[in-house]
Amino acid sequence: MWESFLIGVNTVFQPESLLAIAVGVLWGIIGGMIPGINASIAMALLLPFTWGMEPATAVMLLAGVYCGGEYGGSIPAILIGTPGTTAAACTVIDGYELHKQGRTGEGLYTSLLASCYGGLLSALVLIVVAVPLAAVALSFGPSEYFALAVMGLTLICSLGGKNVFKGILAGIFGIFVATVGFDPFAGVPRFTFGSLSLAEGFEMISVMMGLFAMSELFQQAQEIKSGDEAFVLQSQVKTTFLKWKQIREIFPVATISSIMGIIIGALPGVGATTAAFVAYSENKRWSKDGHTFGKGNIKGVAAPEAANNGATGGAMVPFLALGIPGSNSTAILLGALMIHSVNPGPTLFEKNPEIPYGIFGALIVANIMMFFLGFLAIKLAIKVTNLSKPVLIAVITALVYTGAYAYSADAFDIIVTLAFGVLGFIMKKYGLPHTSTVLGFVLGFIMEVNFRRALIVTQGDYFAALFNSKLSTVILLIALISVTVSIWQNLKKPVDVGNISA
Amino acid sequence: MKGKSKIKLALALGLVFLLIFSAGCGAKKETKAQWPSKDITLIYHSKPGSGGDIFLRSLAKPMEKALGKAVVVDNKPGAGGLNAWKPAAEAKDGHTFLGVSSTIITAPILNKMPVDYKSFDPIAMMFVDPMILFVKADAPWNTIQEFIADAKKNPGKFNIAGGVPGELGFVAGMMLMEKADIKFNVVPFESGGDAVVSVMGSHIHGAIGEYGETASAIEAGKVKVLVGFNPVPGTKIPTVKDAGLDIEIEKFRGVLAPKGTPKEVIDKLIDASKKALEDPEFKKYYENLKLQPVFKPGAEFTKVMEAQDAQIRKYMSNK
Repeated sequence: MWESFLIGVNTVFQPESLLAIAVGVLWGIIGGMIPGINASIAMALLLPFTWGMEPATAVMLLAGVYCGGEYGGSIPAILIGTPGTTAAACTVIDGYELHKQGRTGEGLYTSLLASCYGGLLSALVLIVVAVPLAAVALSFGPSEYFALAVMGLTLICSLGGKNVFKGILAGIFGIFVATVGFDPFAGVPRFTFGSLSLAEGFEMISVMMGLFAMSELFQQAQEIKSGDEAFVLQSQVKTTFLKWKQIREIFPVATISSIMGIIIGALPGVGATTAAFVAYSENKRWSKDGHTFGKGNIKGVAAPEAANNGATGGAMVPFLALGIPGSNSTAILLGALMIHSVNPGPTLFEKNPEIPYGIFGALIVANIMMFFLGFLAIKLAIKVTNLSKPVLIAVITALVYTGAYAYSADAFDIIVTLAFGVLGFIMKKYGLPHTSTVLGFVLGFIMEVNFRRALIVTQGDYFAALFNSKLSTVILLIALISVTVSIWQNLKKPVDVGNISA
Repeated sequence: MKGKSKIKLALALGLVFLLIFSAGCGAKKETKAQWPSKDITLIYHSKPGSGGDIFLRSLAKPMEKALGKAVVVDNKPGAGGLNAWKPAAEAKDGHTFLGVSSTIITAPILNKMPVDYKSFDPIAMMFVDPMILFVKADAPWNTIQEFIADAKKNPGKFNIAGGVPGELGFVAGMMLMEKADIKFNVVPFESGGDAVVSVMGSHIHGAIGEYGETASAIEAGKVKVLVGFNPVPGTKIPTVKDAGLDIEIEKFRGVLAPKGTPKEVIDKLIDASKKALEDPEFKKYYENLKLQPVFKPGAEFTKVMEAQDAQIRKYMSNK
């Protein structure tokens, strides 16, 4: 292994490799910052350029894009309340709140620091435990995936502000939205009303861009028109770096969240977005100051960002150790290797050690480079706060529609984005948290297919399907306790846990 | 002074060459058939980097050599495939064609689409993606016969992953049950990769999937193959035919043209795609992926598609 590691180091510290990683990270950050271009799309856009490269250089470039993209999404999440990538959806909750309070710098640098740290930690952990971690991924069957999705969903209980049931209602609506499209078990279209555009269901990008970005833009436009701007964007936002005390404060949160990111990222089919939501939810639950999550707590930025970058290393586990792409991003890495007739999988470690160890090295270098390139990006991005609001709204609208179209190359998705924008705007008026809806949408499908799969495997035995293993039982119990506690607390005395629907 | 005149001379000569060259081009056009007169587009229904996309991009290179024009792959994902198939069926420029997999048969049936394989003229079927039945490496069965015997004793006990209903993996599972007279549960999995992981984690007993998606797990000795529904080139995997099971199922890859494409054009494309199979670089691609080259031009391809259409309809209603 030591010898292979040296091959990896040798591969990474070639001038062209370092250049490829730097270009990749920069491109990833830019792509991530543009709403609608998430890490996997930014990678797909660069894919054709990698076909003339050495396979190892190609995967290092793409690994750089992957890291940069997962980070870049947090910048617009904090500055304009619009996550640049789906995995940054959770960062909006506290990040945008910080910005509204004028603590923009704290939000942005927490995100940068947590992302780099999460990514770095996951890359280092990966070198040691890639193979044992694959065993963890294998212990997740249909029942365990279902339990994990249920645990992630319990967050909806605490997103409703004063009224726990509003969060639950919005979450259930999200689950319903996820059922639209092809039913993979019965083999029939559901809720498509004969429209083939709905045959594959709603695109996550369009749903999210609509609920987050468009609804926010509608609201701001309305505020400008009616003259009662609830919050005037400070021209004098504080952009100072974090204090040492704050860094110490986010350090444990980021560590736990990156570990969650690594594990959840390693599960095929779930990914950075789920990791970010679960990390946010668990940190909120267990932190002493959990009740200030949603009111502009830097820990609420650190948790999802450390988790979604932690997931980058985790996602490499099934890809490298089992040869199976567990996410869109690793599917593109697979494509980049296959065009060069290199087959990923366990044999890769022996046949082409420069590729797995090159990826490990690239992830480490990429996260260090990201720290400096991120500074640059922040310095530039922060200037958008100086733009006049109407101009900003117009530009973001154009970007959001372009992103929605670019993702699927289907004009229908622009309509979907607009429709969910209107819906999100109405939800805001009634205090229904759209984050719950997005969460329901992301986890609803995972939950449904795995539960139905578990039922087929157990031949219809509900008890066996739910409590298949110790793992699924424990996860479900945690979920049950957390829901009971939230509802009980809410019924006893409605506490304000932060109005994050704004 | 001297240098300037040299430049002038060079320019004049260049102009003369250009004239001769362009005249030559014109003459060529008039005498020979005019197709292809511009770049050729191959539309495909999935995203860049997907298996089918890589197939077309690898095919495009030898096709360019044979046809003398650039061959561009245009990915049009979404709407279950319709976003790609509709514009391809309606293309009128004579230079737009469609890369297909068995999805062109399954998706229109499942989603009741206005476009299906009959909206196109066949160029050629090129490959079969071999499908296999595999189980975990430490499973009690080593051959398909042992599995069938055990399944006969335990009807409905074993869980085997297949694609979603209507997909070929699912149909293959149904056919295996019918022909071998056994009963097991076909568990729908949307992605072949997830099914491999579930088999390795002992959550299900086995899976039916593409050899290509399973290759690395097989090589690493994590799963073993009981039977191939198609021959897997370069391996000794026994097929269903060897086991005496009358199952004919072919997950194909090929190229179609819009209805009404002139015969000369189709013939040229058939020729170009046949030549592509001999191209060393393309050969490396499909041998590495263990695709089984099955070249069936024109009407032969239509026959395969018709048979598959009937097959899927039959096992959909059988459910």
